[in-house]
Amino acid sequence: MKKEKSQNGNGIALEEPLLKASKYPRHIQMVMKGNYAAAEAARLCRAGFIPAYPITPQTTIVERLSELVAEGKIDATYINMDSEHSVFAAAMGAAIGGERVFTATAGQGLFYAHEVLQAIAHFRLPMVVCNVGRPSIPWNIWSDQSDSLSQRDTGWIQFYGESSQEVLDTIIQAYVLTEKVRIPVLVVLDAFYQSHTSENVWVPGQNLVDRFLPPIQPGPMTLDIKHPRSFGGLLPPEHYNRMNYSFWKAMNEVENKAEEIATDFGAHFGRPYSNVEAVNIGPQTKLVLVTLSSITTTARGVIRDYPEIGLLKLRLFKPFPKEAVRRALAPLSGDALIAIVERNFLGDNEGAIMQEMKRALYGASYKMYDFFAGTGGKDVPPVTIEKIIHRAFHQPEEANWIDVG
Amino acid sequence: MKPALEFLIKDEKVYSGALSCRGCGWSLLVRHLASILGEDSVYVVPASCFSIISGPYPLSELKSNLVHTVFAAAPATATGVRAALDRQGKEDATVVILAGDGGTFDIGLQALSGAAARNENILYVVNNNGAYMNTGIQSSTATPYGAVTTTNPGKGFKRAWPKDLMGIIAAHNLPYAATASLAFLEDLRKKVEKAKNTRGFRLLMIDGPCPPGHKTDPAQSIHIGRMAVETRLFPLFEVERQHYTINYRPEKNIPVEECLKYQGRFKQLFKPENRQMIEEVQAHTDQYWVRLEALERM
Amino acid sequence: MLEIRGHARGGQGMVTAFEILAKIFSKLGNFQVQAFPAFGVERTGAPIQAFLRVAKKEILNRSNIYHPHLIVVFDESLLDQVPVFDGLEETGAVLLNTERPAEAFAHLNRVVYTVPATRISLELGLGSKSLPIVNAAMIGALAKIFEVNLEAVQDAIRGNVPAKPEANMEAAAQALRSVRGPNGRNQYLIECLHASQPKANKKPESLHFDIPVEIDGLEAPAWSDPLSKSKTGNWRLITPSYDSRPAPCNSNCPAGTDVRGFVRLTSEKKYEEAYELISRHNPFPSICGRVCPNFCEQNCNRNELDRGVNIGAIERFLGDRAAKAGTEPAPVRHKERIAVIGSGPAGLTAALRLCEKGYDMTVFEALPVAGGMMRTGIPRFRLPDEVLGREIRRIEQKGVKIELNKKVTAEELDSRFDAIIAATGSHIGSPLRVEGEEFARDGINFLREFKLDNDADGLHKGQNVAIIGGGNTAIDVARTVLRLGAEPTIYYRRTIKEMPAIPQEVKEALLEGVKIEFLSAPVALAPAGPAQIALTLVKMEMGEPDESGRRRPVPVTGSERTILVDRVIKAIGQRPGLSAFGHHPVEPKQGYLELESGTSVFCAGDMAWGGTVAEAIGSGNKVAEEVHAYLRGHSYHEEETLPEVVLPKDINYSYYLPMARHYNKLHHSKQLAGDFSEVSRGMDEEEVVAETARCLHCGECFNCGNCYNFCPDAAIHLDEEGRLRIDYDYCKGCGICVQECPCSAMQFQLTEAVL
Repeated sequence: MKKEKSQNGNGIALEEPLLKASKYPRHIQMVMKGNYAAAEAARLCRAGFIPAYPITPQTTIVERLSELVAEGKIDATYINMDSEHSVFAAAMGAAIGGERVFTATAGQGLFYAHEVLQAIAHFRLPMVVCNVGRPSIPWNIWSDQSDSLSQRDTGWIQFYGESSQEVLDTIIQAYVLTEKVRIPVLVVLDAFYQSHTSENVWVPGQNLVDRFLPPIQPGPMTLDIKHPRSFGGLLPPEHYNRMNYSFWKAMNEVENKAEEIATDFGAHFGRPYSNVEAVNIGPQTKLVLVTLSSITTTARGVIRDYPEIGLLKLRLFKPFPKEAVRRALAPLSGDALIAIVERNFLGDNEGAIMQEMKRALYGASYKMYDFFAGTGGKDVPPVTIEKIIHRAFHQPEEANWIDVG
Repeated sequence: MKPALEFLIKDEKVYSGALSCRGCGWSLLVRHLASILGEDSVYVVPASCFSIISGPYPLSELKSNLVHTVFAAAPATATGVRAALDRQGKEDATVVILAGDGGTFDIGLQALSGAAARNENILYVVNNNGAYMNTGIQSSTATPYGAVTTTNPGKGFKRAWPKDLMGIIAAHNLPYAATASLAFLEDLRKKVEKAKNTRGFRLLMIDGPCPPGHKTDPAQSIHIGRMAVETRLFPLFEVERQHYTINYRPEKNIPVEECLKYQGRFKQLFKPENRQMIEEVQAHTDQYWVRLEALERM
Repeated sequence: MLEIRGHARGGQGMVTAFEILAKIFSKLGNFQVQAFPAFGVERTGAPIQAFLRVAKKEILNRSNIYHPHLIVVFDESLLDQVPVFDGLEETGAVLLNTERPAEAFAHLNRVVYTVPATRISLELGLGSKSLPIVNAAMIGALAKIFEVNLEAVQDAIRGNVPAKPEANMEAAAQALRSVRGPNGRNQYLIECLHASQPKANKKPESLHFDIPVEIDGLEAPAWSDPLSKSKTGNWRLITPSYDSRPAPCNSNCPAGTDVRGFVRLTSEKKYEEAYELISRHNPFPSICGRVCPNFCEQNCNRNELDRGVNIGAIERFLGDRAAKAGTEPAPVRHKERIAVIGSGPAGLTAALRLCEKGYDMTVFEALPVAGGMMRTGIPRFRLPDEVLGREIRRIEQKGVKIELNKKVTAEELDSRFDAIIAATGSHIGSPLRVEGEEFARDGINFLREFKLDNDADGLHKGQNVAIIGGGNTAIDVARTVLRLGAEPTIYYRRTIKEMPAIPQEVKEALLEGVKIEFLSAPVALAPAGPAQIALTLVKMEMGEPDESGRRRPVPVTGSERTILVDRVIKAIGQRPGLSAFGHHPVEPKQGYLELESGTSVFCAGDMAWGGTVAEAIGSGNKVAEEVHAYLRGHSYHEEETLPEVVLPKDINYSYYLPMARHYNKLHHSKQLAGDFSEVSRGMDEEEVVAETARCLHCGECFNCGNCYNFCPDAAIHLDEEGRLRIDYDYCKGCGICVQECPCSAMQFQLTEAVL
């Protein structure tokens, strides 16, 4: 990596590890933006096919990958496509061809690719795609999860990462998962708060990753020149129904499989993960904040001052980790409140997380309140979290907007 | 032209039973294509009649792999398939797109242009039957001037000229692009062979007969195709890196109406009040030919 | 609630019909209705389904109909292809579009109605044979079953059909009147209509919903079963087949020669087989190859493209090539003896045919040489004697006895022979019917005497000879005169276009120096001086066409002129000599006739019909068959009318390139006088084979590959023996193979089930 690149802000890794005594064996520590962590993960996972199209705030992911390919640091076919729709269609083709596929997009790009997302999922093709969340027109390039959350129903698995480290680690886990269950995975990170934020990242060595993620194997949808088949032609009703049943069965296994892989990852790399993370949730907890992505970090900071407040971070979002959520909330007392922080607006009275939580907790009698905060990149500082806490305790409505106007 | 005096297909690479209408060009085209391209090819098919023709679950017409993909992005999917095959050392397998005119002239034009500009090693075959036939004969930008479709019905027949796809394609500076007709099978087969043996992005545009869409007698499918070439409505030519070659020069000056008259979709042009439109079609056709000849001389 | 299920083919209008029916029920009976198709692959011709529910109350079911009360079949050919009767209620009914009566379907054990909807629709111009649009007729038939008022039905049709409202309304009316089946109300269907619940609708067999255990989470939407499991042949309504049709060369050959066949065999260099094929009809290929006007070539469909195939040269080549080979005598198998009077082409052909059939044959010839007009009427420079001799010799080798110098009558032979054939030809020149006629010689006599006795009538160098006429005899006389050193001029009253002589002969004559004055007719002859004749001619002009459409020449008043010539030879036609019939007045005609004396005679040759060698051969072939039938006690009738001959309209000329015709080499010596050697020297093997490549193969498959190459359905295969076969499991009946067959060797017929 050239020094001048580091200086003009495009570089990522410092030449020298910051810490000599490694916290994680066979890792080096770097300071890295979230987007570069994502690109680095794709490199470590040996992605073989990378179709690309620029869109803020994702662009630096594919730029970085193009550099890696140009420098011969990754053996991948990198193609500048003509749109996100084509990016995903090409990803589909290469995945059928049996390649490990990676790409990244954001906002409009994900919306534009919507029909292809459906096709990829229903074709049961493994791949991992990073989405850097931003909303739609009126033009806004800042952090918002409406894009990925509005694609909840396309059949993709969705993970939301809290940090650059988590994004990198999750992408590695996602490849193991997607190649096992043959369902594509979207790994989401927040615009700017993650994508363009340089922070400490432990980058595992290639050997370590290779041992955790073996080369991609042909699956039921992999094309074989010598055994010709027709992929995805007209599927009459009774057969379509059957295919969906099979998909449903696979999707039902995702929650457990993801948890197993996250646990294995911990054993292998020294950083354990789980589908959801419960912080300070017990009988004494009076309120639990439910968060996705980077807001979680700020919330972690706020609740250090509030021993009666807990935090539930959702890492796996689709399929919604229903059992894990129920387990995590089980210790709560009967009058504990749940406050959900939504960085999305999908046209309904409730935000996406609230909808999913209600589904997951059907039959339970939690008092749940929804808080819209920080859509379109509006900053969610600690005070906003505190306002949410205050509002939840004092005059909550079922759905509440914080910091409007 | 004379009969081939031989059985052009030595070994069928398709199974009988295609779900094409009587007299359809798709199934005949694919029969010939497949027989030349061989089994080690991968076909990529966006939404089109051929999505259905090639067989509903669990049946396949082709003795090759076939990947169905979204309407707008067959060239992109083919790009992915191509990349995968190349990475696995299967450079010899041909990746072929089979698309209709809607999937090419309209919704798929961007992806086509993208793949063409990247000079992907893909053979693109467009069966141009001049409308969205699979959805029931709606106008596309390939629909001929004067034709009736279900979205240009009756007196509202189409009054815009179809896109010059070959001109657009030629502007991409491709190694090989050509028009071909099912009525001129040997020419067509020669072009498929040539396309097969060319690397880079190649495009063949076929004049596709469609009896339900063109309101024609299925038995006349080939004859009308021949008349389209003879009247110069559908000239046969090749473009190699912007160098044009006309492959067939009709000996006689047969007026366009000798081709139009067989097609119910042009019926209204023969009404007295619309007759001058046939002259417009003639003038447009003549002008295109003059232009082709000029391009050929360049 | 009444539940109806319909079965039809895509494009027949069933979905529209059910929609119209729904509107009719809704309007008339204030019924709740629900009409919908089973969405599938709606290709034209493919079997499809539609459903109709009619009820007095709200319809609370949107699923397909599995147990209908009434099944309506729009296309009879579906009966063999689709399980149309599945789930039909025991008390239910069926309406079929068929010509057959309802009783023909008694085996169904259901109430059956039939209606000839296809016929009605086609007669009214609704749809095509390949896809009759029968929906209006079927609505009419249903109206009858449900006793719906016709006017209401027609109103609904008028408002809802996309085209031809009047014809559709009429179709409904005709169908309503044409329904066959049980009379009176169908009580069950009417009850269904008014019942609040589906009557007797079966409940599902069971309510279990086990999911097959083999379905895991990794089922992929990728598949590979061969599409050939889909038998799309069941879409077919019109069926193509390979079917040879007569070629015009064959059907126009008076001798009946299989011209197309021998040309093909020649192209394959199977010369012996080709010769054998000719011999079946024509014992004189070397002769016909030289002197025939070639009706085959005249009618050759290639004339439409460039020039007809030079069939004569091919035939001549084959005949000459085979001439050297001998032939085996035919064994005598019958006791009957047959006499033939006249050894011309008709007589010899008849004798040969009957000889081959095993009869003892004797030919009586008045002249000292056999051959008839071939011998006496055709000059050597067109037909050398040895060529004629060779072919007659082969006939004799077969066992035919020829008695020369025997002028006989039928009656003389009557007691010694079981059958007598008279074929004495037309040797008597027709009269000019002008003043001084007696000063003109007869052309046919001139030719005979010159050939038999070398009698040139004293003609010598420098003399002027006027020849009247425009046929082959006139030309032959003129060219003979030329070779005798004299100067012939032909006077013909019409133009070159009307000349009946073989155009090639005219061309050669002109080339040799024969002068022809067209539009000139004689009006009088008179002696002038010791040896000359004053010939008065009048100028003619072509007048208005007569009834036959031919323009008649009319004299130009005042255009007479008189010339002095040394000879006038008339050659304006011949009529038969009837000496074989003795003194009986006889009108000769082909075949059997009975003389006043009671003697039975069979006539053939020029005296019966025709005037060319080929016609005489054909006549001989025919009379042989008739005589054979007569002697064997069979009834004789002429061949039935042949299937349609292939005409230019049947040929797809797109598939043939223009190719130059090959011409016979000609021999014209510089010193013509005294040179009677043959002018036309025919073509060599290479030219002959090249010429056969010009054959269009009218009506006969020549493996061009078009049907195979153009079949969209991959339904045409080559079997183990390399023959083309249509696989009807997949043929949808598009008709492209028939249309693109260059030579009309395929046909297209409605499949039987429809008519």
